[in-house]
Amino acid sequence: MTSSASVRTRWQMRRPRIQWLPYVLLLPTLYFVFLFTVYPTFKVLRDSRIYYHPSRPDRQMVTDLKLPGIDEATRSIRGPNNVGLAYFRAMVEPDSPEGETFRQVIGNSALYVVGTVPISMILALLFALLVNRKMRGVGIARLALFYPTVLPMVSAATIWLFFFTPDYGLWNQLFKFFGYGGPQNWVINPKLALWSLIIVAIWKNAGYFMIFYLAGLQGLPEDVYEAAALDGANWFTQLTRITVPLLRRTTLFVSVIAIIGAFQQVEHALVMTYELVSGEADLLLYEIYQQRFIQQDYGFANSLTVVMIAILFALTLANVFLTERQEYAN
Amino acid sequence: MQTERAALNASAARQPRSWGVWGINLLTVTLALVWAIPILWATIVSFRPPSDNLGRGDVWFADRLTLDSYEKATSLAPFFPKWEDGHLTNSYYTNTIEFTALTLAVQLVTVTLGGFVFAHFEFFGKRFLFAFILLQMMIPTAILLVPNFVTIREFSTVYLGIPKALYYKEFSLYDTPLAMAMPYFGSAFGTFLMRQAFLGVPRDLVDAGVVDGCRWYHLLRHVYLPPSWPSLIAFGMVTVSFHWNELLWPLVVTSDKARPLTMGLLRFTQLTDIGAQWSLMMAATLIIAAPLLLLFIIFQRQFISSFLHSGLK
Amino acid sequence: MKVRLLLIVAILVTALGVSSAAAQDKTVVTIYFPIAVDSPVTEILDEYTAAYEAENPDVDIVFSYEGGYTDVQTKLRTVAEGGGDLPAGAIMLATDIFDVANAGLVQPWDAYVDEDTLSDYFDVWLSNSYYDADGDGTGELYGLPFQRSTVLLYYNATLLAENNMEPPANWQELAEDAQTLTTDTRWGILIPNSWPYWELQPFALGAGQNLVGDSDTEVFFNSDAAVEALQYWVDLYTVYNATPAGVQNNWGDAPGLFASGDAAMIVHSTGSMPGILSAADFEVNVSGIPGKDGGHFTVPGGGNLYLVAGIDDATAQAMADFALWLTSPEQTVDWSIRTGYLPVRQSALELESWTSYAADTPQAAQAVATLDSAGPELSVQSLADVRNALHTHILAVLNGEEEPQAALDAAQAEADEILSIYQ
Repeated sequence: MTSSASVRTRWQMRRPRIQWLPYVLLLPTLYFVFLFTVYPTFKVLRDSRIYYHPSRPDRQMVTDLKLPGIDEATRSIRGPNNVGLAYFRAMVEPDSPEGETFRQVIGNSALYVVGTVPISMILALLFALLVNRKMRGVGIARLALFYPTVLPMVSAATIWLFFFTPDYGLWNQLFKFFGYGGPQNWVINPKLALWSLIIVAIWKNAGYFMIFYLAGLQGLPEDVYEAAALDGANWFTQLTRITVPLLRRTTLFVSVIAIIGAFQQVEHALVMTYELVSGEADLLLYEIYQQRFIQQDYGFANSLTVVMIAILFALTLANVFLTERQEYAN
Repeated sequence: MQTERAALNASAARQPRSWGVWGINLLTVTLALVWAIPILWATIVSFRPPSDNLGRGDVWFADRLTLDSYEKATSLAPFFPKWEDGHLTNSYYTNTIEFTALTLAVQLVTVTLGGFVFAHFEFFGKRFLFAFILLQMMIPTAILLVPNFVTIREFSTVYLGIPKALYYKEFSLYDTPLAMAMPYFGSAFGTFLMRQAFLGVPRDLVDAGVVDGCRWYHLLRHVYLPPSWPSLIAFGMVTVSFHWNELLWPLVVTSDKARPLTMGLLRFTQLTDIGAQWSLMMAATLIIAAPLLLLFIIFQRQFISSFLHSGLK
Repeated sequence: MKVRLLLIVAILVTALGVSSAAAQDKTVVTIYFPIAVDSPVTEILDEYTAAYEAENPDVDIVFSYEGGYTDVQTKLRTVAEGGGDLPAGAIMLATDIFDVANAGLVQPWDAYVDEDTLSDYFDVWLSNSYYDADGDGTGELYGLPFQRSTVLLYYNATLLAENNMEPPANWQELAEDAQTLTTDTRWGILIPNSWPYWELQPFALGAGQNLVGDSDTEVFFNSDAAVEALQYWVDLYTVYNATPAGVQNNWGDAPGLFASGDAAMIVHSTGSMPGILSAADFEVNVSGIPGKDGGHFTVPGGGNLYLVAGIDDATAQAMADFALWLTSPEQTVDWSIRTGYLPVRQSALELESWTSYAADTPQAAQAVATLDSAGPELSVQSLADVRNALHTHILAVLNGEEEPQAALDAAQAEADEILSIYQ
């Protein structure tokens, strides 16, 4: 490697003038990343100060300057339409409507993450262990466990919508079979709607996480197991003392993509809790969509987006930090 | 790729010896069946007559199989294009294909170039620019739908610098497949993936090419790309399955002409004035999911390995 | 590079036909339409379009179909904002009037409809059509009645006859009949409450007080009548065991369950009548919702035609002409016969086409008869928030977490707070 590196630097040395080529080749990517990721990130920070609502008399546009190419923020962010950090203050106030909505949505999202991530990861490990064996038809089993990943979330939610039908939906039939006599109407029951979303997400994601564990299992050293078997360790000891600890990095990695993914997965809410008019099962991203495009509370939608970016940033940093520590530990 | 291939071969595995192998096999089969119930049920029910009420009786089988639900679903919504007045009408299928193909085509170009630049060149600001692009992994496009909607709305042929001669009128991006695809034209994940792939190309080959006086595009075409195809194909598969199934962003930037399949299905889930027509909804569900599912069943190995790549996010 | 790339993209997009380059010399009238019924609506509308265009060759009617009422409103807002082509008209819920008018999405019909024609529309249908948006003291007409329905009690007449029952005439009878008709495989009555305010309104009316009055900033959620109505819902499963406990059957499933004999009575929309009549193999009868001490009550629902703001005069005129044609007596009868929605014009009931249909299908005549006892549908400023306050607490009561009186007091307080900014 060193020789080749030196050749490379020599090649570069021969051409001392500034290279413009790499910048030109990168331009398309940089352009689109700037336009749709970096610029909007600053834009939501700016626009979280908008106090404007098209159908409320107390929040009308102060200036009706309508110039082409100037969006609603620039038009309305002067004077009384600019409320600075008011939305963020309202979010932490105990009895403002924004605060109530915000706390409910954050609570829902947290419960959703806690409800989906651990269970789907445990299932994923179990699936990986099961299909990582010699068995006739193991390919079909793997197919059956993985296909939900490729199925659109809208389709999955539509199918599950039937399972949650009261009385004769399969989910409720199963519960009745075990003698459960409680509420049947999962999807429109504010108490159960979020759980119905969680169940669908677990079913859909477990197979996706399975493949990472499957790859992880392949990398495990055979001899450790042989030694353990000679020591008379049974399967359970092998699993808890060898397999799980050795798969720690895979687990960390999967948990990160699972948590970040959970914040972005809202299509099932569009289908399943569409009728739930009280909004008690709203997740963060779904609420952002609702506030901006249904309720049309521009500033609130932007403020919620800021919060979401902050959460994802914090998660990414935590991920980097944890991975670094792992590197040292190994 | 090596590890994945091995992973998929379900190599001689360590089997817990004290358990009956039968027990584990039974558990595997049971779980696989439970996981398959949704798609099996959907498939069976989609062949029932659309007016069937799934009551307390049999929620699986009707007394006859029929394609009526499919016919009705396609007549209620424009899933497939029709030939009218000398041109094809807009349809969910063509919109989805257009959106996915457009995204894929542009992405293949941008990620190849991006990966190549970061793998091959040394230049001022390289690390900074790489970090800049990786921002997109931290802040996914999906959550920026509020500001990006405004961007799409404000964008038009004028902004894009497209000469008027190409169009009969100035058009806005809103409600076009291009509006759905544009935010994805630059892909941090793809750039990262291709950089990794290109870094794996033996340096000696590159140096030999340089010494021979190859231009950059020759190097890319004949040295870097040949061993890196698997990564590019994997990236393509992930992109296609992600965008084929995408809903939230299309929902925001399309309203009529450019609606993709997923939005078509969303309309069916809301036909509730009369009562839920499950067979009809399942037919629609399968219409939108079928192409990917079939591709997946045929190329399952490639699919699974490409999704393994996607975890690099 | 960038420009070339974009050029390629542009050419690609053009080639794929984003632009349908065809110069139109006709007036194009686009109408957003929520397909929310299972009748071959698109076919019916295609027929109407063809018939109308044959009479008016200079007009091109284009229906753009959406999933539901909410989708139509969302789409109209987004298109108005997104710079897409505005439609000329849209069918949205009658109750959305304040939201869409305040947002400046729609304009009044007053300039296009003369007094005589207007007086022929049923008063009930116009009860959610007027709004004084400009504050000059008189309301302007924003909603032209078109796709209108009411809340009905559907009952299995065959089953009632077998049990020697008269159709229920008050709450007591309704509950006792439902209790008697409940078996292991059948519920006595289903009152879907995924959209609860609409189903609760006739019950509140039947106890003497609607949830809403004439003012667009006042609601009566915690009146004695509303509390009694909600208590009655709870009693139906706690006392009479005549209906599933708690938050109940989904709106979409009830008609199917009724038609298959799994429910003896349901409270549902007129719009589901054709589906129920075609699927049921027994005699179906309908009435308004029995009152607490007799009488029958209902509230209107469904969609009105709205005229979109910001379109040119010629398009608006063409839209108005078509809207008046669409709601003309002959058309409204035809629409009613084929979809189950009720006629919107009083003179329509005298037409031969209607009288012969009503003779064949007495249920349709019964549905029209309920119009005499209808109160306005809940519609106030900031409707979504106000309705949400009510819904949240109704569902909490049905989930056994709150008592009717306390819940409705809380809903009233929340609604008052929201409405205070408009007063």
